[in-house]
Amino acid sequence: MSELTQPASLALAVRRPRAAPFDWRRAVPLLLAAPLLLYMLVFYALPVVAMLLRSLNDPAWTLANYATLFEDVVFQKTFWITINTSVTVTLGCLVLGYPVAMGLVRARSMAPFILVIILLPFWTSVLVRSYAWMVLLGRHGLVNEALLALGMIDRPIRILNTPLATQIAMIHILLPYMILPIANALRQIDPSLIRAASGLGSTPIMTFRQVILPLSMSGVAAGTLLTFVLALGFYITPAMVGGPRDITLSMLIAQQVDQLNWAYAATLSAVLLATALAILAVARKLPGVGNAFKTSMR
Amino acid sequence: MSKKTIGRRATLGLVGAGLVAAPFIRPSFGQAAWPEQTTVPDILKGSGEVRIATFGGTMQETQQKAYFEPFEKITGIKVRAFPGSDPTKIKAMVDTGNVEWDMAQLSRGSIMNLQKRGDYFEKIDYDIVDPGVEKQYRFEYGLEMLVWAQVLAYRTDAFKGAVPSGWADFWDTRKFPGDRALYGTGSGGWPEMEFALMAAGVPPDKLYPLDVDKALASYSKIKKDVFKWWDTGAVPIQLLTDREVTMTSVWNGRMAALQAAGVPAAISWNQGLSKRDAWGIPKGAKNKANAMKFVAYSTMAIPQARVCLGIPYGSVNAKSNEYIPTERLAVLPSAPDIAKQLVSYNYDWWIENRETVIAKFNKWLLS
Amino acid sequence: MTGIGTNGVSGTGASVTLSSLEKTYDRANAAKAVDGVSLDIRSGEFLTMLGPSGSGKTTTLMMIAGFETPTAGDIAIDGKSVVAMPPYRRNIGMVFQNYALFPHLTVEENVGFPLKQRGVPKAERAKLVAEALELVHLPGYGARYPRQLSGGQQQRVAVARAVVFKPRLLLMDEPLGALDKQLRENLQLEMRRLHADLGITFIYVTHDQEEALTMSDRIAVMNDGKVAQVGSPEDLYDRPDNRFVAGFIGESNFLPAVVRGVENDMVVAEYEGTLIRALCPGKTASGQTVMLTTRPERLRFADGTWTGSEGQHNRLRVTVTEAVFAGERCRYMLQAGNGTSIVLKEPSSAAIRRRAVGERAEIAWSVADTILV
Repeated sequence: MSELTQPASLALAVRRPRAAPFDWRRAVPLLLAAPLLLYMLVFYALPVVAMLLRSLNDPAWTLANYATLFEDVVFQKTFWITINTSVTVTLGCLVLGYPVAMGLVRARSMAPFILVIILLPFWTSVLVRSYAWMVLLGRHGLVNEALLALGMIDRPIRILNTPLATQIAMIHILLPYMILPIANALRQIDPSLIRAASGLGSTPIMTFRQVILPLSMSGVAAGTLLTFVLALGFYITPAMVGGPRDITLSMLIAQQVDQLNWAYAATLSAVLLATALAILAVARKLPGVGNAFKTSMR
Repeated sequence: MSKKTIGRRATLGLVGAGLVAAPFIRPSFGQAAWPEQTTVPDILKGSGEVRIATFGGTMQETQQKAYFEPFEKITGIKVRAFPGSDPTKIKAMVDTGNVEWDMAQLSRGSIMNLQKRGDYFEKIDYDIVDPGVEKQYRFEYGLEMLVWAQVLAYRTDAFKGAVPSGWADFWDTRKFPGDRALYGTGSGGWPEMEFALMAAGVPPDKLYPLDVDKALASYSKIKKDVFKWWDTGAVPIQLLTDREVTMTSVWNGRMAALQAAGVPAAISWNQGLSKRDAWGIPKGAKNKANAMKFVAYSTMAIPQARVCLGIPYGSVNAKSNEYIPTERLAVLPSAPDIAKQLVSYNYDWWIENRETVIAKFNKWLLS
Repeated sequence: MTGIGTNGVSGTGASVTLSSLEKTYDRANAAKAVDGVSLDIRSGEFLTMLGPSGSGKTTTLMMIAGFETPTAGDIAIDGKSVVAMPPYRRNIGMVFQNYALFPHLTVEENVGFPLKQRGVPKAERAKLVAEALELVHLPGYGARYPRQLSGGQQQRVAVARAVVFKPRLLLMDEPLGALDKQLRENLQLEMRRLHADLGITFIYVTHDQEEALTMSDRIAVMNDGKVAQVGSPEDLYDRPDNRFVAGFIGESNFLPAVVRGVENDMVVAEYEGTLIRALCPGKTASGQTVMLTTRPERLRFADGTWTGSEGQHNRLRVTVTEAVFAGERCRYMLQAGNGTSIVLKEPSSAAIRRRAVGERAEIAWSVADTILV
């Protein structure tokens, strides 16, 4: 590879004058991105910074908000519930999503149809979906009726308003975020590699383990991160279908905002943001995942 | 009660989606029978406009017919209604000096809570307010304009004809078996400490100041049976409809809709909490004078009665009952027979103690 | 070259028999990609399937490897049908056009891959991998990743990986296609050496006739899903069976002629009043219109310095229409009789007189170089 690219870059270097005047062509990408950057700065970055500041300077410059927060039993438990839920949901999405991603990539004429089914959750409001889950998972809902009819249970089991219901509903919402990056990674695997593995004596299962899975890890990493970070911020779904103790950080934040307890809410938000950023930072260091970042930058 | 905001918005969304529309049919009274306000004092007339923030949904539709349209016609002041009233938005508007609403539907609690933190509301001009508006609904920075109740509701097919009455029965899962739901703490939740205390035997007239620890101890007895700590008004209605619970606390307005849809469920008014929505005028509102006029107009007997006929909430004007048929009065929390069973919610106590109560309740809930 | 080459477990190559092999992709009205291919590939042979793209050569190879299922016909390896056998049970080495190296594995892991699938213990694996890398002249490259190698190096790794488990049959799908000319020529020689060292059967697919001629024991020329001709490179070049082979391999002149007489394996045909004698591999009869073919470099100008014997040569009068000096040789475009174009190539010796455009001349060529197709 290198011997192929080197002469080309050398040729470029030779052609370009050494002390070139300002090259407008190099500024074009920046200029094209400028409106969005400006928009993000004014409507996103500044409010976020203002929010973060509030956790430090309300009522005075102090770290007291954080000290209080970390000692708060409610915060500790809520934080743990949030992380726990996010991990479970992410694993659920991975286990359910990976086969679907494979199916999506292998399906030829069915692919658009499968894609529509995968994307369907995007097109309905979270609230409507939550009510749909209430109808499905309720004690006299479709799932229970079906299980009863099949004789798999004697009396209705409780699914709705348990952590399981939260997990089921969140997995449904977040699945596309897992499936699409994995499908993308799978699609980029050269089909001849699968053939090569098979021709070299690898059974389909061995090929999956040794070739397909490792080569799709960038997608798995991207999907997992995306799903996990999004799961951290869930609010309506756990409130609607979750169990009596399913209080997530976002619910706590909303409650505190509503009580005009903005310093506390800002501190909570800062912790949530820091958690998400910390996970991204750690993930970047992992082998394979870092490459996924680089690949997506290309 | 900004949580109610979300609840009502939620209903709107659902009906729009047609998903669970049936339980939410609006049980309004035939509009032909609505009384008309034909004259108003000259002082209420004017020009220009007034921008009103409401809780949206069916509530705003009723308000439109009950007093927005008649007010425009009779006073010459144009009404522009905005759904999505929220005390946090008012705080932000006043803080930034960009006040987009001239008045807003809130609660005495959220108005006073905000006022405690700074000067966020104009004082109400009581000179032009109708004398029929009872004293209990008047306060310095707002005027209550809608009476509703947070009450016990149950499935009539669950207890073989036994009728629960009061919170001791709600707490008694042996006599009244089945799962329960209660108002939780989601966003803006104000836990129903009064219910827990009455269940523990505290007389309704001795509730305030609330004994928080005693209330939580009482709550502990029902905790394992509470299937859902709801925070959106549509949820308990859904739970009753789907037979997820046999008893729950609800907002009364939604029960009428449930019954209209044929679900065997009823309200037990006894020991319910009487709550109110209120008009507040944000500090620096551009059309402050028009807002004052609207506050006065909308609390007159006839406009109040029109709301009662549109949506099953009560009036703050004692004279309204003259314009409301008896069968309608039977579902209104402001009707004399019902009002006397209810406990008036003490916003003043809550404003002082809300943060402590919620912190304790959160901790209790997660323990 | 110990281990793998000389004292390997399977010293000899596999024989492969294709019988009336057919492949139709299940698209409506699709032509047959492979249409009745029958071929006997001998043990230890270097057989090349040569043909233009779409001729069915790669599809045939993929069916042998097991990646495509024949619509009809049979594939037997060492006499046993393998049609129902999945690729990973066939024990065939394969080198792909783009090498198909696993990007997430090092060179060592890539080469060790087939051994790992076969449960070869780690220590043994390391030894065999080292041997295989030695075989392709890449010792010490084990720890690198494919992306750190040049195209030629990647190609060698792919070969090492394909032979490390000592298959008796090696399939190669245009393995040199992506390399530049000089590297390709070096590697062609290495392929031959490898073939000699390993003693196993090679089936090689290419569209490059020069590559096919250089490397192969035998070539199967493919066209339109069928085998146009099978034979040694010399056979194909000197005695093409049909016009397609004559045209596809090397450059050919074609003269339409009418058969006037047949004697033994010789035929006499008339072109524009000139009688031309040709070798005739098939049957033909008087009066039939046929095509005679001959190679441009086998033609000579028959004047002055020409010393051929009249009895064994054909002669024809032509006009020079184009003369090009191309370094090692001169290339002339000639016109005969009614306008048939003929190409003539002769060495560019200073001793040979160059012809000018418009000049009239007579050309001559050996009867043995004249084929009826």
